[in-house]
Amino acid sequence: MKHRPAQVRPGRRRILKQAASVGVLAATMPHLLYAQGDDLAPYRSAKVNWKQVEGESISVAVIPASYFDNLGTLLPQFEALTGIKVRIEKVPPGQIRQKAILDLSSKTGTYSTHAADPMYYPLYVANKWVEPLDKYLHDATLTDKAWFNYDDIHKAWRDADSVDGKPYGIPYDGEVTVQVYRKDLYDAKGLKPAETYEELLSNAKALNDPANRVHGLALRGFSGAGQNMYIYPSIFRGFGGGWFKGKDVVVNSPEAVAALQWYVDALTNYAPPAVRNWNWPDIADAFSQGTVATYIDAHSSAAVLNNPEKSKVIGKIGFARWPKGPNGKRVTSIWNWGFPINASLTEKQKKATWLFIAWATSAETQARTSWKFSGPAKRSGLNRVSSWKSPEFAAAMGGAGVNFIPAALESLEQDTDVEWRPRVPQWPAIGETMATAIQSALVGQKKPKEALDEAQARIQQILKG
Amino acid sequence: MGVSVPRPGDTLARQERRFALALLAPALLVLLLTTTAPLFYLAWTSLQRIDLGMPWLSGFAGLDNYSKMGADPRFWNSLWLTFVYTGSTVVLQVVIGLSLALLVLQIPRGQGVLRVAAILPIVLAPVVVGLFWRTLVLSPEFGLVDLVTRALGLGSHNWLGDPQLALISVIAIHTWQWTPFAFLVLLATLATLPPDVYEAARLDRASAWQRFIHITLPLARPAIMMVVILRMMTALSAFAAIFAATGGGPGSATEILNLYAYRTSFTELNLGYGAALAMVLLALTLVISYFMFRLRRAR
Repeated sequence: MKHRPAQVRPGRRRILKQAASVGVLAATMPHLLYAQGDDLAPYRSAKVNWKQVEGESISVAVIPASYFDNLGTLLPQFEALTGIKVRIEKVPPGQIRQKAILDLSSKTGTYSTHAADPMYYPLYVANKWVEPLDKYLHDATLTDKAWFNYDDIHKAWRDADSVDGKPYGIPYDGEVTVQVYRKDLYDAKGLKPAETYEELLSNAKALNDPANRVHGLALRGFSGAGQNMYIYPSIFRGFGGGWFKGKDVVVNSPEAVAALQWYVDALTNYAPPAVRNWNWPDIADAFSQGTVATYIDAHSSAAVLNNPEKSKVIGKIGFARWPKGPNGKRVTSIWNWGFPINASLTEKQKKATWLFIAWATSAETQARTSWKFSGPAKRSGLNRVSSWKSPEFAAAMGGAGVNFIPAALESLEQDTDVEWRPRVPQWPAIGETMATAIQSALVGQKKPKEALDEAQARIQQILKG
Repeated sequence: MGVSVPRPGDTLARQERRFALALLAPALLVLLLTTTAPLFYLAWTSLQRIDLGMPWLSGFAGLDNYSKMGADPRFWNSLWLTFVYTGSTVVLQVVIGLSLALLVLQIPRGQGVLRVAAILPIVLAPVVVGLFWRTLVLSPEFGLVDLVTRALGLGSHNWLGDPQLALISVIAIHTWQWTPFAFLVLLATLATLPPDVYEAARLDRASAWQRFIHITLPLARPAIMMVVILRMMTALSAFAAIFAATGGGPGSATEILNLYAYRTSFTELNLGYGAALAMVLLALTLVISYFMFRLRRAR
């Protein structure tokens, strides 16, 4: 009797651990191992002592995604290079923020680092949960600046993982939202990928044919800070909206209402009816089944579209940048998964964690998880400008579709906007409030103005506390 | 436990009581630590201002979290939804469960099979039920319900995407899962009702309806009340199925108090206010259960 409640937890935890280690095992299956796995020369050319904290062990929380699986398969190389043991735990994307916050706020140091949502850095920093990384970047014993070349990482992502100019996370993988369209359908009607929001709608209108199960347009409609509040900010900024009036967050400006109205109309008129419950995998699935003519979402969803087992549209896919909003701006996401350092670790563990981060985000590892990777899934969210411009990357991504790399790279370089979403410590509450408001407008429960006015009232309450 | 040396003046009964207490102590202690202590911690948290988004404001807040609810439309909305959800699911479960039980009693054979079939939804985890309904039953175009409504010419509907339909849908999900419980309890009760009373009534020419109103209902009343109390407590604290099916959405259309407390604490990271909401739900459940038990004893 006494033991029953006490046993439940370790039992479950053990199962989780076992599950995690099975995952790692599966990920390190020999046939997936990088062919020249023992070639560590590119890392050893860095003027740092990789073995300085040999024998430490760290744990890393990531989401189950191929771009992290690829990194997992390279861990034996990292362990050979540094003598640091790494345990990877896979946490579903819907839970990783909560798990990380639980760990960080209770200072248990369970995760030395985790795949962090860029919008959460202000919260982490306000609570002093993560280390400022400038001191690691500037410490010659820890970082060979010339070798690591921090400035080679996309500026938008560096900025997104920084607070007040100080880096708190190093981007590992990321994405930009782009237009994905059916080239064959567009060509048949002589359409061009949209340059403006109106063209996006007129293209959708021209191709919308629900009777034959082809819908003109799809955008994420599911409620969530990472779902509808991932698409809406781009539209909002394209309509010329700004999140701040002085120091206050304002979400019910006339631009905001117009943007939400546009979003509602676009989905109501041209999207599959279920789109209000759809996240990106649902949209990518529908597109790969040929029932959606255009969507705007992460460039990395191309991997789903080109899966020969599922997709019926391989070879018919085109990519283009976001169309311009009424204010002439194209606004794409600045989403990336970065790695921060948990502030409640010991100094030695922090160094070990930094070495892991430096290794994972280095140009060499980026290449080894992408075009040099021997498995089928080549990563497309590389963190470095030089990688994006390399011919090897172009060759590896060649089959993704028409204009894939130019569309994504131009978006990365020109259309990103750090003020895409309001970067404040209260973001989790604001993001959730906005997601709820947007959804109530999308499903017709409330008018856009009414939904945003209510969100504004609530956000004011949240901010004053 | 060491050997207890009998002290002078101890009766055997007292020794035994002490021994029993010693045996129970570990279990009680664990219970205290795992259920009561967190409850007090929750109450304490509800008096604090703990908002991880604004750590600089943390501190003791007294009853601020509670007074804030008065002006919080989402709180009132969730409270209203809690009552709607609880009331409708309990009534539906009892009515459908009782009707099914009466119907099945008329079946001479095969009751055992029906009883086993009825248990199936109960043993499913509510999360599984929520996901199952969301993906297989209620999804537009592919879902079972949509197939039926389209076949009947009622058209395709976004069952979980439309605010009103979503509320009806989560009520249907809960009713589907838990009606069998009411059914089984009431079936067992009805089967034990004394046949001689009915025989006497029949001799007095009481109609079937009169027999139901004046005999069956009063005799089954204790069982019905028990079902109502138990189901009410479950419905008030329902979470997993709604969380899996709609997440409280669309908007806040299915956000009962429990989900609102969860969202506030773990999505918006306002732990103090979330704890206060949970305390309100706890108080509500206690008060309602207290009155239901009194109602049960009355008469």
